[in-house]
Amino acid sequence: MYRGREGQWAFYLHRISGIAIILFLALHVTEISSSMFGPKWFNALLKFEENPIFGLGLVGVAALVLYHALNGLRIILMDFTSWGVKLQRQLWYAVWVVYVILGFPMLFIMLKHVFVGGA
Amino acid sequence: MMAFRARRLEEAKRLSTSNLELLWWVFMRVSGVLLVFLVLGHLYTRAVLLNFHHDLTYDVVARNMSTVTWKFYNWLLLFLSILHGTNGLRYSIDDYLPSPRARVWVKVIVYTLVFLVTVFGTLSLWAWNYTPVR
Repeated sequence: MYRGREGQWAFYLHRISGIAIILFLALHVTEISSSMFGPKWFNALLKFEENPIFGLGLVGVAALVLYHALNGLRIILMDFTSWGVKLQRQLWYAVWVVYVILGFPMLFIMLKHVFVGGA
Repeated sequence: MMAFRARRLEEAKRLSTSNLELLWWVFMRVSGVLLVFLVLGHLYTRAVLLNFHHDLTYDVVARNMSTVTWKFYNWLLLFLSILHGTNGLRYSIDDYLPSPRARVWVKVIVYTLVFLVTVFGTLSLWAWNYTPVR
């Protein structure tokens, strides 16, 4: 009933995205905090990160964050409402509907930032 | 004290081996809701409104981080996401590392790194004091 079905995929994706996000967070905080070493160092670092690989990496992290956030809300509904567990599969499909609605414009804008250049 | 998995608050109360573990279970839900808004707000202002890839410079970050509102916003974001993420990592370590010895060592390393990153982040956040050149 549970194994191999939607609920298990929802769980695994939540785990994997969560682990990836905390690793990114550690790098991201370190990177931004290194601004303490002064404008010269920080601007050089930002210049280095203008490689599209970093831009695409951020798009990927944003995609994981959006899933983790929406599925997290699904978990909360399952935990604190009387109907959440019964409707968990439908809720997971709802997560993907909202994911596409919010994610598509975000993906478009972020890719534009990476490839079409500064304002 | 072991992490546990529960689907409902009543179940969480029953399964929790300590009050602290129950508190963490509740914290994950409460911080989760707050983080949805804080993180999506962060993504919207930094990755959608701003060209994060080309327009980000020391001056842009400095001007932003020098206002008390953004300092507080980012500090809350940093603390909640670090606690939420580290606790999630702890659940994963307990689930996937069977050896108690390995668990202890991995946790010591993870918690040390997390502590250093948090201190570094907090210091830099409060260090910003930008006076614009007119």
